[in-house]
Amino acid sequence: MKRIFLSAAAALIAWPALATDYTQPIQDMIAGYIQPETTKFAAATAELPSSVKSVCAAPSTENAAEFKTVFSDVVKEFARVHFLRIGPMVDEDRISRLAFQPDPRGIGQRQIRKLYSAKDATALSADSLAEKSVAVQGLTALQLIAFDKNGNVVLGAESESRDFTCAYAAAISENVAAIALAVRDAWASADGYSQTLLATGGAGARYQNEQEALEDMFQTLSTGLIVVRDQNIAPALGSSKDKARPNRIPFSRSGNGVVFLAAEMSGILDAVKSMNLEPIMPEEHVWLIGSMTFEFENAQKTLNNLQPPLRQTFETGDAYSQLSLVVISLNSLQRLVGERIAGALGLAGGFNALDGD
Amino acid sequence: MPLMATRPVEFSRRGFLSSLGGLAALPAFGGSSLGAALLSSSDAPLFASAFKKSAGGYGIAVLDDLGQIQAEISLPARGHGIAVSKAGKCFAAFARRPGTFAIIAWPFSGQPMQTIVAAPGRHFYGHGCFSKDGRFLYAVENDFEAARGVVGVYDVSGEIITRLGEFDSHGIGPHEVLLNPDGNVLIVANGGIETHPDYGREKLNLETMSPSVVVLDGNSGDLLAEHRLDRSLHQLSLRHMALDGSGRAWVGGQFEGSKTDTPPLVAVISRDEAPVLLDLPQKLADQLENYIGSVAATSDQSVIATSAPRGGKTLFWNAQTGNYLGHQNIADGCGVAPIDQGSFLISDGNGGVSYLSEPGERAEILARPAGFAWDNHMTAFRI
Repeated sequence: MKRIFLSAAAALIAWPALATDYTQPIQDMIAGYIQPETTKFAAATAELPSSVKSVCAAPSTENAAEFKTVFSDVVKEFARVHFLRIGPMVDEDRISRLAFQPDPRGIGQRQIRKLYSAKDATALSADSLAEKSVAVQGLTALQLIAFDKNGNVVLGAESESRDFTCAYAAAISENVAAIALAVRDAWASADGYSQTLLATGGAGARYQNEQEALEDMFQTLSTGLIVVRDQNIAPALGSSKDKARPNRIPFSRSGNGVVFLAAEMSGILDAVKSMNLEPIMPEEHVWLIGSMTFEFENAQKTLNNLQPPLRQTFETGDAYSQLSLVVISLNSLQRLVGERIAGALGLAGGFNALDGD
Repeated sequence: MPLMATRPVEFSRRGFLSSLGGLAALPAFGGSSLGAALLSSSDAPLFASAFKKSAGGYGIAVLDDLGQIQAEISLPARGHGIAVSKAGKCFAAFARRPGTFAIIAWPFSGQPMQTIVAAPGRHFYGHGCFSKDGRFLYAVENDFEAARGVVGVYDVSGEIITRLGEFDSHGIGPHEVLLNPDGNVLIVANGGIETHPDYGREKLNLETMSPSVVVLDGNSGDLLAEHRLDRSLHQLSLRHMALDGSGRAWVGGQFEGSKTDTPPLVAVISRDEAPVLLDLPQKLADQLENYIGSVAATSDQSVIATSAPRGGKTLFWNAQTGNYLGHQNIADGCGVAPIDQGSFLISDGNGGVSYLSEPGERAEILARPAGFAWDNHMTAFRI
């Protein structure tokens, strides 16, 4: 028996008719969020190969700035889709190949160093790169080789390994663009993962009913909030301010730490809103949506106040305490989305928490 | 070895596959380079855990000390606990109850994997342990028509695995079994809950349940000691265990009584003394939903971890004094295994693998392989 949240059980007794339509929020999220956002992500990554080639061909200030902007756009669009860890994003390990994170022990850096010392030619074409370790073929790898620690573009700059770096960066950018395109197409296709989520039940079906499918979609959003808090922010805060490590925020090396955090949070909010949940929520719980939106917006405001680069403002400014406030918002958001809203909809929670043993 | 079965039963892969009918996904090391990598890998610490994939499907993964998946074995249904032979040469992965299969793998030798099907009238409960020399595998099982627990004894030393017989577990619903450090006695946590495969996982005796922890002679199965909690706690199902440096069993419970009660959930049980129940700060106890998911000790056995996935917290205890040391918030965190000296690796249902250097530090997320949800338990098999 599935363990359903207490409030949900009560709600379902009071509103028996409301437990019926789980299809609509699935359809709405696919059409209203996933398809347009994966399209935008693919479009942003499509710009990456040419900007890599330009800055490598002529490492001018303009071309470097242009690359920086394109990379930042890609990071922003990636942040808005990376939490969709179901179906197309998971197939063929695409999410890890797009960005290998978390990586607190620097596996990516170590493996990239090996590529350089071996002058590994298989890293220099997108096709052969795609067969290599997931840690060396995506945006986290590109950031490492294209930016210095201060966020300056070093791609194309004079150095011993310039040509290798340029060819490797080109391969990464083409690989990333190809993966993003595959994700977009898999969500756009009428017989793709949308169908898996919507055509439930029967032999061989991934989901026995719409509720299971929606539970999985909802779980990705709830997990997304946990990832923002525990994986993307908490390691930077450390156990105290003097142990803070702002460089642990994803994409902070390229100066995109705040861009990434703000975009992933706005993405999760937009994804929840795209489901248009109010009509299928018990009336007494509809206020949860407003409360969630308010809390998200608070966190967004705080994030927008952060002065980049965080690697400096953690020490000199109040970025540390501001980011600690975001964590408090995330605690409350995680409860709202993962427990209360899911509960009000009669959706079950975590894998181990559910029907344990 | 005087066992209760009348004659040994042999198992074969064919038997396993036919027992699963057309459903059988052939267990195999997945991925082209992974199995080979494991065989040739250095002596890095390794861990194993059951998982569910978001694309559907279940299996066992072997992870390294950075949380990276090194090998995968697909399973036909959801797995649960993994027993490791002392030398770490071999592991047995059990189906989640009321499953009837277990696989035995020798990941470093190239020896083909073997499978066991539960004997007729028995199903596995999901846990087991090996004898000290690795020759015998003890598996907790349900004799469901008689509603009594047994410990099945298997000889895994030959080419064909043989069920030599079984011991009475002296209780209902034996959930986990451990071998003491000397290797001569078995400690069994009888969860006390009666189930029958005809009714799936439905709990049939919550009003009368009477969990226990028993100590059995490893050779004869004779009952050496039996511990039950006070009658007022008869609904605290004693399920998961780890041993501390003094050989005492730390037992994590799951309370089946009123949701408004917050009884102690952790007991320390030694062979010749009455069980000691450990209290938690009330504010914390209120958040655990009366549920401990797994129990593990650090490699030096000085700190015990008890995970509470429903509360999203993992709690730590000083093994010597019984003092509560603190907790970590790990959403849906359940699997806990020792790593390094005095540290833990913790896995969660959202795919995260976290490293906790010591209880007072913040857990660090090492990895989150895409599309994996880690199941209840993680086991260190080369530390």
